[in-house]
Amino acid sequence: MLAQLLSSAADGIVVAAILAVAAMGFTLQFSLTNVLNLSFGAVMTIGGFTAYLVNVAGLSPWLGLALGTLAGALATVLLGRGVLRLYARRRTQLFEMMMVTLGMSLVIDYGIQAISQNAIYGYTVLQAQPIRMGPIAVTPIQVGIIGIALVLLVAVEAALHLTKLGKALRATAVEPSLARSCGIKTSRVVLVTWLVSGGLCGLAGVVYIISTQSVDYTTGELFLPLVIAAAILGGVGSLRGAVVASLVMGLVTEIVAGFGGAAYSTVAGFAILVVVLLLHPGAVFGGAEDRQLVL
Amino acid sequence: MGAWSFYITTLLVYFVVDALSAFSLNLQFGYAGVVNFGFIVFQAAGAYVAAVVTLGPSGPASFQQYILGSHLPFPLDLLAATLAGALLSFVVGLFALRRMRRDYQAAVLLIVSLIALQVVSADVPLFNGSNGLTGVTWPFGQLFGATATGSPYLYLGYAAVIGVLVCLGVIWLSRSPWGRSLRAMRDHEDAASAMGLNITSLRLQVFVLGGAIAGLSGGLLVEYIGAWSPGAWGYAETFVIFTAIFVGGVGNYRGVLVGTLLVPIIFLEIPRFLPAIGYPGLTDSLEWVVVGLAWMLCLLFRPRGIIPERRLKAARPASPLETAPAEGSA
Repeated sequence: MLAQLLSSAADGIVVAAILAVAAMGFTLQFSLTNVLNLSFGAVMTIGGFTAYLVNVAGLSPWLGLALGTLAGALATVLLGRGVLRLYARRRTQLFEMMMVTLGMSLVIDYGIQAISQNAIYGYTVLQAQPIRMGPIAVTPIQVGIIGIALVLLVAVEAALHLTKLGKALRATAVEPSLARSCGIKTSRVVLVTWLVSGGLCGLAGVVYIISTQSVDYTTGELFLPLVIAAAILGGVGSLRGAVVASLVMGLVTEIVAGFGGAAYSTVAGFAILVVVLLLHPGAVFGGAEDRQLVL
Repeated sequence: MGAWSFYITTLLVYFVVDALSAFSLNLQFGYAGVVNFGFIVFQAAGAYVAAVVTLGPSGPASFQQYILGSHLPFPLDLLAATLAGALLSFVVGLFALRRMRRDYQAAVLLIVSLIALQVVSADVPLFNGSNGLTGVTWPFGQLFGATATGSPYLYLGYAAVIGVLVCLGVIWLSRSPWGRSLRAMRDHEDAASAMGLNITSLRLQVFVLGGAIAGLSGGLLVEYIGAWSPGAWGYAETFVIFTAIFVGGVGNYRGVLVGTLLVPIIFLEIPRFLPAIGYPGLTDSLEWVVVGLAWMLCLLFRPRGIIPERRLKAARPASPLETAPAEGSA
């Protein structure tokens, strides 16, 4: 019982680390542009498949990690700047923007399905003998994933608070028009945000498939519910909130799975968000409709 | 009967099912502004329930496992499907339709769709997991032969009668005072609320009604095709119906019918007549890509549909306040 709990909790922390990387990217972009980006899952899949292709080419998995990150960043910039700008020029509202990102998600998902011949591909790299500590067994790469998540949290927080660009980003997120009139080039800030958010998304896709050891066209879509739930639960725009929410979700999903509810693990994670929605509307409902699109 | 007439009849059955879905979704989205990105889940619920209540009890020896196995006669099977859709949408609506940003609402419903698929695929005792249920019969088996595909004309007639009745009911409802209050809620939530409409309750009503129709359409579909599995209700299926509504015209039932004919029937069937390309399944994937592109193009060029909704003409334009329904939710 306790042994199962401990081992599930260890798995949960690994899931939480992956989730945290994705949720940080999601929340950063959402808080700035106010577009609820439903193509996030599809871009995760792009990152994952890029890493897979690097592996097939016989190159280092670390290069796969880097190129997966890059692919996510480029795809997101293309979507955020290229596609969404088209719509912004036609005065598409925030809500319709979300529907557009969903259309992009369909196109990417099924485009990948077409290219990948709708098959599941194994991705077994960087696997090693697990380190055993009593009931807990973690592989070195899992420790590495947790490390990556922590380093990223510190790095992005530091960038937000210590650099000029980070300051500009926070200013733009709070009040874009005022930031613009203070001389901040908001367009550049937004570009950087799409890049960083996409990079985190691609990276999350790669570490996710390292952890699950396979990739197919639904990979990102299956992870998307938890990412959105963690980002909303953590409070939009708060990196630390996203990380804490990810930790809660990761622990809950893995503990539920560990105790025989594998089919319901995602439901349990999502249920947390629902319960918080019902008990504490103010905690999540904040951020009124009058937010504006920033692109 | 020839292969061609069978094919056409089957398409017409699909058309009835898709028209029911599109009418239901149009009532929710076009009239009430509720963006149900999880629509297909309620259709799937109806289909599963209609399947299990006609398949008979599932024993340990049977090749497929499911809950609620029984032999319900007509019309209890369709009634059960309708109730399943309504009940599920009531439960989902209780948390998904709370007052929050509309994009959160839509995202929550999309998430419900994604999660439901995972759960049903993974929880085998529920509805036989990802293999799904097969061997579903129709309620008139003893009279006309075991499966509906054996007497397609008869099934088409049966489905068409139900479809026409329900669709007329939906049109009647959307023209009723209740339908007008839905539009008021869609166009200006705060004003509608100030007029005394209970927005939360109204939204839940239209959501449950739409869910019930979705469940019914699922029941009609599964009794014809005889099988149902998670492959049939991926999250993308919802967007075929949405695209049909966009192509036809949001909030316009004639347009919705045209859109239903164009998108899920004609467009998705054309590839059957083209020479096969690539590996089997490639055209299916590419069709979805095109649906996504069509969806994006609609949003770019005609966000209100190709045949937009006509503006409502008030009977007495002099006193707009009097014409507004004041009794809350009808």
